[in-house]
Amino acid sequence: MKNPVGPVLSMCDEVEQVIAAIEDDNPGTDIEVIDRGAYVRVQGENEITVTQQTLRRYLGADFEIRSFETMMTAFNGRAITTSDAITWQSVGLRKAEKKAATS
Amino acid sequence: MALLKREEWQGFVRDVDWSYSYVDDSAVFPEWHCGTGKVPREAWSAWEEDYKVSYPEYVATQREKEASAYAVKSALQRSTTFDHLDEGWKSATKMHFGGVALVEYAAVLAELKMARFGLNGAWRNMATFGQLDELRHAQITTFFGHEFIGKDAQYDWTQKAFHTNDWVLISLRNLFDGMMIAPNVVDLAIELPLTFETGFTNLQFVALASDALESGDVNFANMISSIQTDEARHSQQGGPTLEILVEHDPVRAQWVIDKAFWGSARAFAALTGPAMDYYTPLEHRKQSYREFMEEWIIDQFVHTIEEYGLKKPWYWDEFMRGLDIWHHGLQMGLWYWRPTLWWRPKAGVSKDERAWLAEKYPNWEKVFGDKWDVLIDNVNANNLEATLPETLPWLCSTCHLPACNATQSRDGTWRVRDWSLQYDGRTYHFCTNGCRQIFWKDRDNVNHQTLIDRFLAGQIQPMDVGGILGYMGLTPDVMGDDPDYEAWTKDYVGRPVEGISLAAQS
Repeated sequence: MKNPVGPVLSMCDEVEQVIAAIEDDNPGTDIEVIDRGAYVRVQGENEITVTQQTLRRYLGADFEIRSFETMMTAFNGRAITTSDAITWQSVGLRKAEKKAATS
Repeated sequence: MALLKREEWQGFVRDVDWSYSYVDDSAVFPEWHCGTGKVPREAWSAWEEDYKVSYPEYVATQREKEASAYAVKSALQRSTTFDHLDEGWKSATKMHFGGVALVEYAAVLAELKMARFGLNGAWRNMATFGQLDELRHAQITTFFGHEFIGKDAQYDWTQKAFHTNDWVLISLRNLFDGMMIAPNVVDLAIELPLTFETGFTNLQFVALASDALESGDVNFANMISSIQTDEARHSQQGGPTLEILVEHDPVRAQWVIDKAFWGSARAFAALTGPAMDYYTPLEHRKQSYREFMEEWIIDQFVHTIEEYGLKKPWYWDEFMRGLDIWHHGLQMGLWYWRPTLWWRPKAGVSKDERAWLAEKYPNWEKVFGDKWDVLIDNVNANNLEATLPETLPWLCSTCHLPACNATQSRDGTWRVRDWSLQYDGRTYHFCTNGCRQIFWKDRDNVNHQTLIDRFLAGQIQPMDVGGILGYMGLTPDVMGDDPDYEAWTKDYVGRPVEGISLAAQS
């Protein structure tokens, strides 16, 4: 992967469900999972997203996306948080998008 | 009642960069704290964090993290887990507690500085959360370490270490004063959140958690992972700051990163390197220090700075060569000067451990094996005295760590060489060319005196080993010693003795 981006999840009971949610939310992207025991890297090329809606399907209807932070010990790329989703984007792509938005 | 989404209101409460009418902007944001330099003041209005969080979200999430970390702690407090941990692993945690607890407090001050002098409301907002994070880290680290004092007096250094003049602490204070206390907020955001927290802390707080978990220390693994979830968020102050600085002053951006990266790399070689490659029991090692560095620093961090338009630091080749050398030399130094430590350094060079080291570091036997052989033979000849220090190592005037890095000469031999320079009427000595270059570029900076400088200036009395240990705050109940000499020397009992150890025995 040239520009891998995505969360590094700490060991917790929800890791498998979170990975499943990320796979569902990024149907066109290969999701790579690297398991190092205490942490698991989940990554895709250039940009991946996970939504509250999908996470609720796996983790229960009361899951708040802000709680994603309790599982994420690190991440690769820039993390963009909104009320409904978290997107990890490569710095290069983020810069290009910002430039396009201002011009 | 439906609540407004954060995006619908956050700008109103966050963007408080109003124009001052009673005072000048420069009175509120003085240059010596803000350090805008060549960046036009108005350029900072573009500063925008991607990782957004509101105060109610922050409080709710932090409460969940605390509840979870303390639940694990109280569950394990009633178990005998701690008593069964390997001494080597315990040493890795003692080093962490003493080396980290009060650095977290220094980071509170750093975040507070950005919360006050950050050049954009959004930045100050993020730093406000950052200082609360760091306060939590200072508290949780101190509290978790404190639990074990009744079982082992060395854990008392969790809180004590930073208040002493132990050489390890002088080195860390020198690094973190330079990175957290002294800089203006622009440099600070590049040095601390971007270089240190996006890059290096992942090694000690995420990668080391793998070794912790394998070693059975669930409590410690859980604590450092919990801390790093905060770091992942507030380290995001670095990116937007770097973007603006690179646009207006790329030379400064590069220098600030280069300097912070080098200082961090030296400190991690001293602490994380031995913890991963020597203290963690062999069967519990997930990857070598070098492999973790490759994963987190070489691949991830360097890729990030290149995406921001910067280059690898000028000293890159020297740094890469150091990955096979620095922490092994420092491990030998830490072990040899073990009475000066507040943990029990494990030598970690039994035959199996050496085979692992040689597999991970092909030059290991060649550069370090024969030196350890001398120590091993002296231990096996019951000549422990010969394995204890009688003199002091030369400490580098930049990183304050022992100058003990072997480099290969053209004829293939490995030697520890002296890098020195003349400045202000005296000769300074350094452990590496990188440390020498940084000292020279930064020579107007206020540098702490190394322990050796203090000794030579007569500040340490009496001028003997007892005087030095006393100056460093070490008492006999805490002073480091090898936890189990037999564990790593028994493989070699009865072999013919040669070289220096033969001379020492005759």
